[in-house]
Amino acid sequence: MKKLEFIYENGPHKWAAISRDPEKPNYLIDTNEYLVINGNEAILTDPGGMEIFSAVFSAISAEFDPYRISRLFASHQDPDIISALALWLDFNPDLKCYLSWLWATFVPHFGGKEDTFIPIPDEGMSIPLGNLTLEAVPAHYLHSSGNFNLYDAKAKILFSGDVGAAMLPPGEDSLFVENFDRHIRHAQGFHRRWMGSNSAKLNWCERVSRLDIDMLCPQHGAIYRGEDVKRFIDWFSELEVGSGIKD
Amino acid sequence: MGEIKDDTADQAADLRRVVMVNEDIKKVIRISSEVNLVALNAMLVAKRSGEKSRGFAVVSSELRVFSRKLEVAMTGLGALIFGLVRDAAAMQKQSRERRHWLNTVAHGGPGADLVAPMLARKEETMGSTGQEIRSDWHKLQIQLGRVLQMCETGGALSRSAKIEAVYGGDMSATLKQVANQIEETVNEIFSTLKLLRTQLAE
Repeated sequence: MKKLEFIYENGPHKWAAISRDPEKPNYLIDTNEYLVINGNEAILTDPGGMEIFSAVFSAISAEFDPYRISRLFASHQDPDIISALALWLDFNPDLKCYLSWLWATFVPHFGGKEDTFIPIPDEGMSIPLGNLTLEAVPAHYLHSSGNFNLYDAKAKILFSGDVGAAMLPPGEDSLFVENFDRHIRHAQGFHRRWMGSNSAKLNWCERVSRLDIDMLCPQHGAIYRGEDVKRFIDWFSELEVGSGIKD
Repeated sequence: MGEIKDDTADQAADLRRVVMVNEDIKKVIRISSEVNLVALNAMLVAKRSGEKSRGFAVVSSELRVFSRKLEVAMTGLGALIFGLVRDAAAMQKQSRERRHWLNTVAHGGPGADLVAPMLARKEETMGSTGQEIRSDWHKLQIQLGRVLQMCETGGALSRSAKIEAVYGGDMSATLKQVANQIEETVNEIFSTLKLLRTQLAE
């Protein structure tokens, strides 16, 4: 089953990663969910697919009361991101879900009603969490055409969705990037194929390099820390994307 | 096929109930980890008090054994409730999938006949998950009963600690303070567990 690990703790303000399910069948892509906690409230990022709902839900419940999750944040519309929505809403019908306005009529096919969704405009928006303010950072076309990251300036953490994702082989699947050069080989193919626009990529790199980031947390693969965050942004800015099909 | 009824709401209510029980069990586990510290503190105080608190030293040593046993029992309780949350969440997913088949059947027409076998298979899967859940609940109740029995031993130890504290000479006040701490912690575990037992019986 998946396990919840705290990756940042400062009093009532915490980030937890829910990751690495050894029981997950190989035909399902591995995902990381992140729980941003501030006191009695929490936001769950990219809650995952229907098939892994039970693993995610039980891993969270072991450490945290799932009733205290008041909102979901969906970086984009893919099934591995948000197809468990209906199940989360069965559990708590009052849950709200932040999502690009672009997908507001698509994602309800997974569940939810009009008042479930808080559409995020293209330019992004502030998301309050108790006395904290998180920022929905635009990452359009990386890889979805309506795509957002979530930035926590206080924790200096950027949830980067599919940006930074890597398909890690068994034995190289630690939660944090330990050796950047070795790790990035597992990210290259993914970024070349799934990221469609060089100009969107450069625009993202330029904006994100101005943020103060200690941890860059992708939805697949391992978390970049410290100097590896800058290394990743530099690597990504130079990578030719939208070209993976040539391989 | 028998009576066709959408039970998604019932399954969601079951999951919410399991989550409530899980939160209470986590609370008991947190408190019980304090018993370890209290027991260690009691042993240290007894050692400092020397010969006058030999009786208290024996009780605190027993308390330490109790706290270790309690830790093992709590780990078992934690594993059981983890499995129950996982199974109840899986059941909710199955119920949701069943609902899709039910909707197709409700629309009627040739599609309804085609999906009838799928619906039957889904109900079979749900039947076996339901059985696992019932078995999980049963195991949880048994384990809870065991822990409650253990806590009765803890209660007896805390009472003995209070009696022995009286014979602690000039350390008597400190020993009493420690004995009260033991009693408070054990009582807190006991009352939370009793509440849990009532919840489970409902």
